[in-house]
Amino acid sequence: MKRYDLIVIGAGPAGLSAAIEGAKKGLQVAVFDENEKPGGQLFKQIHKFFGSKEHQAKIRGYKIGDELLKKAQSIGVEVILNAVVVGIYPFKEVTINIEDEILHYKADAIIVATGASENMINFKGWTLPGVIGAGAAQTMMNLHGIKPGQKILMLGSGNVGLVVGYQLLQAGCELVAIVDAAPRIGGYGVHAAKVARTGVPFYMQHTIIEAEGESCITGVSIGKVDEKWCIISGTEKHFDVDTICLAVGLSPMSQLLKMAGCDMEENPEKGGTVPLCNKYGETSVHGLYVAGDVSGIEEASSAMIEGRISGIAAACYLGYMDEEEMEKEVGQQEASLNSLRQGMFAPGKKGQVIKTTDEGYNVSINLLEKGYMADEEIENYPGVKRASGIHPVIECTQNIPCNPCQDSCVKNCILIGNNITSLPVYDESSRCIGCGMCVASCSGQSIFLLDDDKEEGFSHITIPYEFLPLPKEGDMGIALDRSGVAIGEAEVIEVKSMKAFDHTHLLTMKVKNDMGMKARYFKQLKEVSL
Amino acid sequence: MRIEKHPILGDIVKGQKVLFTMDGKELEGFEGEPISVALKAAGLMVHRHTKKGSPRGVFCAIGRCTDCVMVVNGKPNVRTCVTPLMSGMVVQTQYGVSTKAI
Repeated sequence: MKRYDLIVIGAGPAGLSAAIEGAKKGLQVAVFDENEKPGGQLFKQIHKFFGSKEHQAKIRGYKIGDELLKKAQSIGVEVILNAVVVGIYPFKEVTINIEDEILHYKADAIIVATGASENMINFKGWTLPGVIGAGAAQTMMNLHGIKPGQKILMLGSGNVGLVVGYQLLQAGCELVAIVDAAPRIGGYGVHAAKVARTGVPFYMQHTIIEAEGESCITGVSIGKVDEKWCIISGTEKHFDVDTICLAVGLSPMSQLLKMAGCDMEENPEKGGTVPLCNKYGETSVHGLYVAGDVSGIEEASSAMIEGRISGIAAACYLGYMDEEEMEKEVGQQEASLNSLRQGMFAPGKKGQVIKTTDEGYNVSINLLEKGYMADEEIENYPGVKRASGIHPVIECTQNIPCNPCQDSCVKNCILIGNNITSLPVYDESSRCIGCGMCVASCSGQSIFLLDDDKEEGFSHITIPYEFLPLPKEGDMGIALDRSGVAIGEAEVIEVKSMKAFDHTHLLTMKVKNDMGMKARYFKQLKEVSL
Repeated sequence: MRIEKHPILGDIVKGQKVLFTMDGKELEGFEGEPISVALKAAGLMVHRHTKKGSPRGVFCAIGRCTDCVMVVNGKPNVRTCVTPLMSGMVVQTQYGVSTKAI
């Protein structure tokens, strides 16, 4: 029986972070993962992360995964793949299925970071080939380079549904609609807005009636639901699709902990059955810790911090650091975690209707119900101001934990302050030089540059652009407004691509000057399929 | 169905091209990619039929749900979404827990 100081189960963001902290303190650490490759779901996350610099904001998820892996390797963490942990027994004995053998390992401390699995919901035809998890879609396109389908309907408007919906567009798929039975969009408004402006409709208070087809999906019908979640007759709609993606939540994979004898609770706020644990992630079994989604569904940035906390705590438990030192380090991590857990999407605020921002601005009902801001309300927010010459228009109107725009502006035009969930304020007294760093650094793609004075009768608008084929100077196309409706002709003036922009291209288009505050997307006339 | 060039990920790097058979028909795929990806590229959606005869395909794509299992090299219940494709593999539609009775 092989022994380690610390065994970590799961090589995702939480598990790797925990292992790194443990190894840093001198523990001999092994990480077991059932997959062929480490990183959990991080390598499928191709969008820029939220948060602040300390949370690696504006860095794309897969690059954070690369860094974590390198760090783990350089510090001597042993990562054992294709290894399914099948049991945790008393005295920290762990059984692991590798190839066709069951092997025994023993540790002095264990950190379980097994993550979560996707939920599904039932409707007629839900077992047909072509109904897939949103995570499956991400795996197919971002790991294996294959489109999940050509025409796709997304069920679920949480961040997973919105982010994967956008990634489907990036992969060259057609997204016919995002559907959710809830009355309001569950994810960040900025994620919804970047999908809505390309012309994808949102059907809130709608659900799937039937997935149609004999041997696989050929279509889907949806309908509006009443307050008892029953379909209102006459509201049915049909779409021809070959794929339906389900983004209806995640459940913690906590079975191993239950088996290990941890006290468990059923907690809907945390996504299902989770172990009871203290602030260090320690469960009711001494020396057995949890981190990441297995202890409550959140996201990768907080999972990494939870991982670090449990790694530090395990090192202290095993006597590799004293308590005072441990408390100090954990305190720093907690502060970082708390800054992420603020704002209107904070854990504990799930399902609450928040009507005004912390600053007292009205939260846009349009954004929550349709996925975009109305023209008449956009100028009510502190990031959107009319000014002469080139200037940023910051359409960030919900309190979400993110501040790279503030850091990106060398001229200090954008102010958020110390609280990273505050709405960004555009300060007109500072001089914007049109560098575009804010546009590229905004993980929500909600910053645009507007110049009404460059050319008589026209507005020049710079938008973030992450699709192929990349338009070029002189191309003619159609300007779409925030809702994805065509509002007029647009000509590409410039396409700026820089390494610092990290694959977000800055497309500047010219539209008639009454459209400057409206046009937010450039639709190519000949959309060549990839 | 394959994405040739991705706006964020760039060129999609794959292993070398290999041949395998699917219910006796020769197909092409890339070595090391999941069997299910090569099948999807060939337009195949139905991986198996349940005992009662209803069709199933990929659902989770990460080896959890077992909806995509097929008979591979004679072995049933192989999760095609996490099993790497190799040259010469013999892949068959699964009916219940075996290949179709002849």
